[in-house]
Amino acid sequence: MGASMVVGSAHGLDFSAAERSAIVSHGPWPPTIAIDASNNRSASPAAIALGRRLFVDPRLSSSKTVSCANCHDPLRHFQDGRATAIGRAIGTRNTPSVIDSAGQRWYGWDGASDSLWAASLRAMMRDDEMGVGAAGVAKLIRDDRPLRQAYRRAFGKPPDDDDERLMVNLAKAFAAYQATLVSPRTAFDDFRDALAQNDHAAASRYPEAAQRGLRLFIGEGRCSLCHAGPRFSNGEFADTGRPHFVPGEGVDSGRHGGVRSVLGSRFNRLGPYADDAGAGASATRHVLATHRNFGEFKVPGLRGLTHTAPYMHDGSLPTLAAVLGHYDKINEERLHADGERILRPLGLSTGQLADLEAFLSSLSAQTP
Amino acid sequence: MRALVCCAIAAWLCDLTGAASACSFSAADGEVLNGVDTRLAWKPIGRAVIAVSEDFAIDVRACPADTELLRVDATMPAHRHGMNYKPSIETIGPGQWRVRGLLWHMRGRWELSFETRRAGGSQTLRQSIELP
Repeated sequence: MGASMVVGSAHGLDFSAAERSAIVSHGPWPPTIAIDASNNRSASPAAIALGRRLFVDPRLSSSKTVSCANCHDPLRHFQDGRATAIGRAIGTRNTPSVIDSAGQRWYGWDGASDSLWAASLRAMMRDDEMGVGAAGVAKLIRDDRPLRQAYRRAFGKPPDDDDERLMVNLAKAFAAYQATLVSPRTAFDDFRDALAQNDHAAASRYPEAAQRGLRLFIGEGRCSLCHAGPRFSNGEFADTGRPHFVPGEGVDSGRHGGVRSVLGSRFNRLGPYADDAGAGASATRHVLATHRNFGEFKVPGLRGLTHTAPYMHDGSLPTLAAVLGHYDKINEERLHADGERILRPLGLSTGQLADLEAFLSSLSAQTP
Repeated sequence: MRALVCCAIAAWLCDLTGAASACSFSAADGEVLNGVDTRLAWKPIGRAVIAVSEDFAIDVRACPADTELLRVDATMPAHRHGMNYKPSIETIGPGQWRVRGLLWHMRGRWELSFETRRAGGSQTLRQSIELP
């Protein structure tokens, strides 16, 4: 066999060795998730149970009307289907799903949190989200006997006297629960595994349109430069030429503000609440704040994509076709990338765009 | 994924100063780079290969040992961007350092650079690495 390996030639494309390597790098799925060392409750069944129970409890907001599940709806792939979130107020950014959220380096469109528990904490504290604050959380847990008992099971002690410590612990229970949410295998995963195992018959079951789209994704389209790995995200940030002016709000500085937030937070992985005393905080310790970060937003993972419309950080693109149309004709003048040369108009044909959409759709299971 | 080292130069072929020749590397020191009067060897620690978007650290050793390591950085020349992180340098012995906080967030060609100083003069040693 030469550089071009024939896979499923009767019903598929001939992928080169380099293409096969690139495709295989998007798996296996599900991945092995490392335990979050900054959260010593991250695999605790009792903490997971407490997090699951409170995830849908609206008493964890100052208005008693907003739970985590309001925006991260379990029936909607743990997001809300809206352009921008509605918590206690209308937000300015699209709600990301919390499925596959374990093991990431940064959380939120701007990466303002460096752990899943810190991201959960942020939602509880922000006035426009749940706005409950430490005193509200502490009162709820201390005054509710079943919750008090559940807390004791999760943490091996009664609710802390320190309100803030109690709130952080609750956030760690939320994180423990969310870390269990993993998206199901997809048609792409079956194809990827078949390719890795030279199983031509299994590989040929993957639709040809999706195979052509996959070739564009890893090749001419250069999508996989940022949408890398099993989650289809490199976990970093990019300016994609979408507007970041928010009517009535001003400018959303994106990652620029996110770096400042995470470094200024006492709830980061270098702070006193990280259970590993900062041992796993290399990214936080070394992250670089640059002017280029202005208007950058996190590269989202692509699994479950068909269940998470609308798209982009501001939810401004309603369909996958609209997203592909944006990248196909991207206005390079709008990029604030200091001469960075990654994004450029793709100029694809209608058929190629349909193939890319077929591939992207294959990253979602039929049901969320 | 395996990082392919593209332009490591065989150190033993180079004509070095007397001071440098008193100091030598073994294969365990990793990839060797040659400068004017300084040689560096570096290797990833805690992992066999460098992977896309995963934090890593390297050990660096200099010959001669009185070389200073001022800065370590990496860029993707084709994309005109660098890392989103600023590595830290810890001295772990004479002419030996541990560099933490490296993270290459895209596949493709990266240029790893080491800025050094010795006897009042500075130089930058570079290595091109293909991250598949």
